[in-house]
Amino acid sequence: MAIRANPKLITELEIYGAQDVSKCYHCGNCSATCPFSKEPYILPRRSMRSLQMGLEAKLESDLEPWLCYYCGECSTECPRDAEPGETMMSLRRWLTARYDFTGIARLFYLSAKAEMLAVIIVALIAGAGFLLYGFSQGSITQYGGPNAFLPASSVHIFDWTLAAVLLALLGTNCARMWWFTVGRDTKVHVPLSAYVRKIYLLPMHFFTQMRYAKCEQKRPWVLHLVLMLSYVTMLVLIMFFLESMWSGPAINWSVHAFGLAATAGLLVTTIVFLRKRLKKSEAQYQQSHETDWMFLVLLIVVAATGLLQFTLHRLGLDTAANVNYVIHMMAVVPMLLLEVPFSKWSHMAYRPLAMYFADLKAEEMVSKEREAVGAPQAA
Amino acid sequence: MRTGVYLCQTGTGDLDAVDLHSVVSYAGNLPNVEMVKDLGTMPALNIEALVAEIRANDLQRVVIAGDSPGFFKPAFTTAMRNAGGDPSEVRLASFRQHGASFGIGTVRAKSVLACATFGVPYGLAAVPDTTPTHPGTVVIGAGIAGIQAALEIADAGKQVFLVERTGTIGGHMAMFDKTFPTLDCAACILTPKMVAVGQHEMIDLMTYAEVEEVSGSPGDYTVKVRKKARRVDVHACVACNVCTEVCPQRAPSEFDSGIVERKSIYIPFPQAVPNAYLVDGQSCTYVQSDGAKCGVCAKKCPKGCIDLDQVDEIVELEVGNIVLALGYDVYDARKIERYGYGVLPNVLTALEFERLTNASGPTSGKIVTKTKRFNKRTKTDEWVFDAEDGAAPASVAIIHCVGSRDANHNAYCSRVCCMYSLKFAHLVKEKLPDADCYEFYIDMRAFGKGYEEFADRIKAEGTFVVRGRTAKVTEQDGRMVIKGEDIVSDRMVDFPVDMVILAVGLVPALGAAELALRLGIQTDTDGWFSELDYNSDPTDTERGGIAVAGVCQGPKDIPDTVAQAAAVAAGALKSMAIGRGLDSRASVSLSDIEARAARLTRV
Repeated sequence: MAIRANPKLITELEIYGAQDVSKCYHCGNCSATCPFSKEPYILPRRSMRSLQMGLEAKLESDLEPWLCYYCGECSTECPRDAEPGETMMSLRRWLTARYDFTGIARLFYLSAKAEMLAVIIVALIAGAGFLLYGFSQGSITQYGGPNAFLPASSVHIFDWTLAAVLLALLGTNCARMWWFTVGRDTKVHVPLSAYVRKIYLLPMHFFTQMRYAKCEQKRPWVLHLVLMLSYVTMLVLIMFFLESMWSGPAINWSVHAFGLAATAGLLVTTIVFLRKRLKKSEAQYQQSHETDWMFLVLLIVVAATGLLQFTLHRLGLDTAANVNYVIHMMAVVPMLLLEVPFSKWSHMAYRPLAMYFADLKAEEMVSKEREAVGAPQAA
Repeated sequence: MRTGVYLCQTGTGDLDAVDLHSVVSYAGNLPNVEMVKDLGTMPALNIEALVAEIRANDLQRVVIAGDSPGFFKPAFTTAMRNAGGDPSEVRLASFRQHGASFGIGTVRAKSVLACATFGVPYGLAAVPDTTPTHPGTVVIGAGIAGIQAALEIADAGKQVFLVERTGTIGGHMAMFDKTFPTLDCAACILTPKMVAVGQHEMIDLMTYAEVEEVSGSPGDYTVKVRKKARRVDVHACVACNVCTEVCPQRAPSEFDSGIVERKSIYIPFPQAVPNAYLVDGQSCTYVQSDGAKCGVCAKKCPKGCIDLDQVDEIVELEVGNIVLALGYDVYDARKIERYGYGVLPNVLTALEFERLTNASGPTSGKIVTKTKRFNKRTKTDEWVFDAEDGAAPASVAIIHCVGSRDANHNAYCSRVCCMYSLKFAHLVKEKLPDADCYEFYIDMRAFGKGYEEFADRIKAEGTFVVRGRTAKVTEQDGRMVIKGEDIVSDRMVDFPVDMVILAVGLVPALGAAELALRLGIQTDTDGWFSELDYNSDPTDTERGGIAVAGVCQGPKDIPDTVAQAAAVAAGALKSMAIGRGLDSRASVSLSDIEARAARLTRV
């Protein structure tokens, strides 16, 4: 197969954050430093090379960027300041845009203004919609009961509708990801039985992020895990236990205990990550893309208004609670609708999937090439 | 002579450095200049028109001034001939060739142009007038560069003061086993030169001495030298070794790169010049206790030539020229923790391996790994090289670019490491044919004459040359595990070897920056002494009469060092031949050059 090169790819990746790829002189320092670099997946140098050569199709089918957790060790040790860690991060952004068939992800990554504008528009539409619906339904002074401004049952239906849309969008992107990385690979054929046999990898990587723990520093892994688990807890509570969450003003400990813990987890971790990105003391937080900020800011607003909502409702301040809830939803809707399928949030699906695929492919490749592995060749 | 000046630029150089308008108006005011014409960049020259112009102005001489005026010379020569003039009177004022760049661009361009209109070579007119040259030269540093420069000058019958910081001359080259790419024995080349220096009637050798202060101007410098207390009379000592035998105190041997110990009173190596012992005051019990303890060597010396109470002595030297040949230090491999130097026993630096494999080294040239030994004095286990008990390594890895080409350490290429690493591979293969030898490199820089052929030879000898620098060295079951990436075959490298040699880069010698300050010369961002002009004045510094030779100007190999040292000697001898101290050309004012050029025209 002829290889087609896109010489402009390296310039395009600059917008995604990879500024110094051309500095790399291929000493292999980064690959040897990386705790995830294990045959057949040698990273990050191979990706640096593919980028320098503009091998777009190859990069599109690569799983390596998703195997990196950006501990920053490679960038710190890099003798050329070529920032291999940031390159992998940028490649993840680029891949997110590639997997997305709508082109919205690409637009968001290339233009911070477009993303900002989309978030504002969606927020305004969501706000207006909830207000209109609320005023047509009941009174803004009523939080619960028959005349409630926004009844829990209606919100529940809205949530499930939104979830269906999101699943459809993210599902298509994941299917495209499979096609790019495994499906159309003519060299490696993964049998169906392997998919079934190894399916346990998906929830395992999703819930434990055990590969992250391989990095030399364990703190980022713990923080990342807490953030993810808090988020998932909140998601489960809202999707399945919304009515019992809504009840009140008495505290329903059986759900609220989880809710408070998850909110605390979200607030603490987002604040820590924000601080790290502002202080830029560690390699992996030195270069923040606009989408990174958007991700954290939306999350912190959602968590804070959620907590405020809970407090206002318990205090019996129904009007304030209703107003705050609309604000809460103005952050939730764009966060879910725009960030999950089109931006940084999508990595919660791509990363475990990539590890699952990588494992499947590696098993095939290694069994094929076992005999070829040996000492380096004399030149 | 009626002269016409044409400004023609090729635009390939740095035109911003020269203010052409100012040059044009300056040229118009020069005597003899009848017409000045600025033809701009890459003019399409019409020979007919030029002929007409030359005739109309009755020009006897035409000066083409510009960044690379030679480009336009054929057209002007034809025009001059067709106009009936003398084609040899088409003169060039080449700005770039004479270093019209940076801050001095415009002034230099004017000087060059003025000289051309007078028909005098710029180099001749721009020789500054300073004080008469003192015939003496002080050479600082006595490695191969200093030795070569000193011998060249002394052989011409001029006095040389050779100042060396350590107890012997020879420098790093004396430590080497073989030279690349010829695999000559380094000592066989160097020791005759060292002996020649020691015996030369025109060389005043000052070992164990340092330059304290320099004052004066080109041609007439006063250099204050501190002769450190050697505590042994160099002329009386017969090197009988009795003092070393009785000395109870030890310190790491500098000459053996610290892999073995020497006594506090010692001779650096048997062929040292001067062939005399010296006392290391830092470790000597007598010196450290202010004469309260020990002193046994002085009592046992059969010649009575040891004076442990000797103090430093300051001497002042009157010289015309100063040659800097400070050499280098090697990069401290401890700064790169991931290679485990200083922690893992069998990770060596290049200089350590050089001593290990050297027939005059501590193991008599036997390549062995370190053996664990209980030290009774310090009551600790230590790793030492032992020729009898040490095992020959079954595999050796050589890691290139240690501390070089690395943004976290030194960004520059140290230039010699690739080649000496290949030499090491050869030495390992020669002495241990069954050993596996790996070279881990980033780019193989075999740039010199015969170097590429040398690299091919090493590969043919069975050394595994792997592209990809090792990232980490760890220990496993007493062996050194190297981890890296083999970029060509796209595989991870992760296997144990018995010995790792770090090809450490070169860094400016200790005290070089301080000396540069004292001399009033500049160093570049990496700490090497700055030459006056990279291309045209590679051995001069911006202070006249002070020249640089060898690695202290930038990493280079032995052949280049020797060539540069000889060039420096030529410069010093030139200043003596014309009898004036040679200041740098930048120090000469435009009016001086003009006046001198005018005077030279009349001669």
